[in-house]
Amino acid sequence: MPDTITLELFRYHPDRDERPRFQAYEVPFREDWVVLDALNYLKDRVDGSLTYRWSCRMGVCGSCGMMVNGYPKLTCAAFLRDYLPGPIRVEPLSGFPVERDMVVVLDDFMQKLSSVKPWIIRETAAETMASGEYRQTPAQLAAFKQYSMCINCMLCYAACPVYQHEEQFVGPAVLALAQRYNLDSRDQGNSQRYPVVWADDGIWDCTFVGECSAVCPKHVDPAGAIQQAKIQSTVGFMRSLLPFGNR
Amino acid sequence: MRYSNEPLFWSLFSAGGMLAALLLPVLIVLTGFVLPADEIAFSHLQDIFSNALIRLVLFALAFLVFMHWANRFRHTLVDMGLKSLHTPISVLSYVVAIAGTAWAALVLLG
Amino acid sequence: MAKPFHRPHSNTWWLRRGPYRVFMLREWSATIFAVYTVLLLVLVSKVLDGPEAYDDYLGVLKSPLMIAFHAVALAAALLHTVTWFQAVPKAMPLRIGEEKVPPVLLMGGAYATLLGASVVVVALFLLD
Repeated sequence: MPDTITLELFRYHPDRDERPRFQAYEVPFREDWVVLDALNYLKDRVDGSLTYRWSCRMGVCGSCGMMVNGYPKLTCAAFLRDYLPGPIRVEPLSGFPVERDMVVVLDDFMQKLSSVKPWIIRETAAETMASGEYRQTPAQLAAFKQYSMCINCMLCYAACPVYQHEEQFVGPAVLALAQRYNLDSRDQGNSQRYPVVWADDGIWDCTFVGECSAVCPKHVDPAGAIQQAKIQSTVGFMRSLLPFGNR
Repeated sequence: MRYSNEPLFWSLFSAGGMLAALLLPVLIVLTGFVLPADEIAFSHLQDIFSNALIRLVLFALAFLVFMHWANRFRHTLVDMGLKSLHTPISVLSYVVAIAGTAWAALVLLG
Repeated sequence: MAKPFHRPHSNTWWLRRGPYRVFMLREWSATIFAVYTVLLLVLVSKVLDGPEAYDDYLGVLKSPLMIAFHAVALAAALLHTVTWFQAVPKAMPLRIGEEKVPPVLLMGGAYATLLGASVVVVALFLLD
């Protein structure tokens, strides 16, 4: 076991730097430390200007996603011991503009997320608390549960080569979340989501590279969700061609 | 709602991908390796390729494999950075695929 | 607000990781199939033209270049078949009540179909 390990950190200060640079730091090597522990150590003891997002330290909040040696990871789940002997290169998630150091601009993702209305939509507005809960069987829950595990960490966007060159692409997590609500028996809003999901820059930009599903820390499988939506959209398209079958 | 045209191209792409997955491995072995080893008599080949049903299946295979190719080809070139040529690449791919299909019809259905 | 930095996207991204390289090979397999299909159509038309035309073309098929092409095409076809069948349970998951039908079962069905189709084609070509 080494005593220390080197971290090469992506540094960019929007007011001072024309372009980013890499800065190397040595941190103590601990068997049970993850990359996020090393970053917190550096910020607390060595360089307070280091900027990155984090919160829960346990793979739930989805804030600490970064590129670790070129691979999108939650840094709270990336153990230093898996990168021996180092150095470990840490960069902000690829595909997003960099605000400062490891912090990326979220605007594009947030705008796309809200565009698919990721909440339960009911046709009748008159329903109130008094009309009771929406009941669901275990089988109806199982139909979408996998897609509800998404923590919006955006690792799938950083893994998606299509999103990197086609910024209009709605992208894996948002399309999986749209599928999550479209498959929910309580929801009646599918037709409001289709214009975004079934558009050229929705599911049809996807070439099924499949890496979004490979990097997902919650096993959501956005690639599968997108292929299923392609089939549904194709069925809808074929029906729209029928003279009488128009839904 | 207004539909994208992609479902049309994608369903042809998918049908071609399925046929290719099921038939191409064995066909490549037969026509690429067994034929050159002189294992199949000419008269037998003549019988096979004169059969109307087999010709129809081969035509479907050719048409769908060409459509499968066109879809992957246009997307791959965009993925490799030719985004600005997206439309001409798509048009060209399908023109080539349709020309190939016309030739297949001439050979198999003529 | 200060200026965010936009990192350039490289057109050689697909060289960077194993799965990306496999993806690229999978995508280009379609082009190899299109070429193979052209060769198959040439074969059919030569057979229909008669024994002399076929014998000439058989000579072409025996050339090392053609053998090499078919070896590459076979590798591409196997890659395509494996990745295509992997996608089947993802694109068409089956559920019975709460339970998901195991993806292995769906893939097994695809491979059984492959076996059946291959047997039929082999019988067609090799049995008189």
